[in-house]
Amino acid sequence: MRETKRRLELYSFYDRTGLERHLERMAEKGWLLEKIGQFFWTYRRIEPKHLTFSVCYFPAASAFDPGPSEEQQTFYDFCAHAGWILAASNAQLQVFYNERERPVPIETDPVEEVDTIHRTMKRSFLPSQLVLLGLGVLNAALLVLRFMDDPILVLAQSSSMFSSMCWALVFIMVAVELAGYFRWHAKAVRAAERGERCETRSRRKLQIAGLIFLAVCLFYFLASTLLSGNRFMITLTLLLPLLYVPGAFLAVNGIKRFMKGMEAPAGVNRAVTLVGSFVLLCAVLGIITAGTIFALDRGWLDGEQTTYEYQGRTYTLRRDPVPLALDDLLEGDFSRYEHRRMEEQSLLLGQCTVHQWPIGPWELFPERVYLNYEVVLVKVPFLYDLCREAKLHERDDWDTGDPEDVWYGYAFAPADPAPWGAEEAYRWTDGSDARGERENQFLLFYPDRIVNISMQWDQPPTPAQMAVVGEKLGGL
Amino acid sequence: MPRAKFQTLTEQMFYVLLCLREECCGMDILDRVPAVTLGRVSVGSGTLYNLLEQFCQAGMIRETRVEGRRRSYVLTDYGRETLDREYRRIRAQAEDYQLAFGKGLER
Repeated sequence: MRETKRRLELYSFYDRTGLERHLERMAEKGWLLEKIGQFFWTYRRIEPKHLTFSVCYFPAASAFDPGPSEEQQTFYDFCAHAGWILAASNAQLQVFYNERERPVPIETDPVEEVDTIHRTMKRSFLPSQLVLLGLGVLNAALLVLRFMDDPILVLAQSSSMFSSMCWALVFIMVAVELAGYFRWHAKAVRAAERGERCETRSRRKLQIAGLIFLAVCLFYFLASTLLSGNRFMITLTLLLPLLYVPGAFLAVNGIKRFMKGMEAPAGVNRAVTLVGSFVLLCAVLGIITAGTIFALDRGWLDGEQTTYEYQGRTYTLRRDPVPLALDDLLEGDFSRYEHRRMEEQSLLLGQCTVHQWPIGPWELFPERVYLNYEVVLVKVPFLYDLCREAKLHERDDWDTGDPEDVWYGYAFAPADPAPWGAEEAYRWTDGSDARGERENQFLLFYPDRIVNISMQWDQPPTPAQMAVVGEKLGGL
Repeated sequence: MPRAKFQTLTEQMFYVLLCLREECCGMDILDRVPAVTLGRVSVGSGTLYNLLEQFCQAGMIRETRVEGRRRSYVLTDYGRETLDREYRRIRAQAEDYQLAFGKGLER
């Protein structure tokens, strides 16, 4: 039979009413609180009985204290004298239980009690929550700006979606928590003036909903990343949650505990933990970055590579698998062309960008051509119109109105979609019907995807080339 | 409107100060208040801890002895004044009551 158990307790820091009720129920089931950890609370088995619990706060205490201060121990002595036994404590949070019948409460003056709770909140809970709220607002603003700039990239990047969702969650939880606290405090102050104690309100359902939402976001992120087949992202995904985040947590707690073990004063511990954690996290981040650069440099995270020799020099080309290559459209030898493919995949959108260009000395490529395209795969139909509008207006600011400007008068003009097998087609043109590589840029709309292609050579695309594009990129 | 600090005293403040007319420590006060009031008033450990701290800061009591963690206190002149003022206030209230209803409660 298990003698101890650990639980994740989803109560607000100031929710003394909810905690007291919960701990009393646990004692009646035969479990007494023994330790309040960073995430989990530990209970030990006892004979099931009714115990009265009191959750109170000691504002001067700190998570960095080497142990209870003399003042705190004096407070414990007072409590013990009235039959209150300390069950567990963590920083300012103090949990006592009493075996006596109808014991005198630890706090008998509601005004003093509210004042103590508020002083505690001002020291730890409120500053940290306000910082989180600020970060949440900052991230939300950045997300909105990025979304306005490039909604397709934001929706296709599972990592950015995941971090945005996490920050949105943090923002909502913190905002609800702060609003709840201030509301309770205002009510508690009024009640205390009447000599009454104001009960706190538990938000366990909201906290559980938040955890479920976080799990769904994590699942979405992992599923999207694995689906993308992007080795670089998969490696980062595994490195970050499995190594970096727990590593960071262990580092911060490790330094704090070590300093506590050394009986360092709270101020020294706080400073050393802060500086030590910062240095350590920077070092780990540096190692990850250096490792990534090292791996990228050696092509460990790249796709297929090939080399060729010319005049005693070796040229290395990246040859990522691409759905449409120059060989599919033009006659000639394109074996010395690099194929670079970048892909973002989420459960909502897929975005595949391909660039093909020559690598080597200019004399090897008398007719220099380039092929660039982007395929946006819309996996959920309701996002199609948003993506369509984003693509159609993506270049709105290219024409600055300056007649000297290269893109003066240019816009996407409707073209015949039939040769492309598309539903809609637009050509990038200034209306002069000039031909050339500047105008071999098309925006093609297929039922579930949008293709943005730039064929940088002089001749306009032939119907046969258009058909190949439709077949290879349009999913026809 | 919240009351100005110690302008008037709560029952608990009043009895804590009253106990400190002679030197005693916190735990003595926890026992004495219910004894003096025949169980009508009790002071919680947390409340007492905070009150002693605030009374000290306000100069209404002073620390007299420290034996380990056991600290003893006694009322200062300013504390006595505060207590007297509160007594006069309570008496004035009682007199007003008597004026209104006669001698007092027949209980």
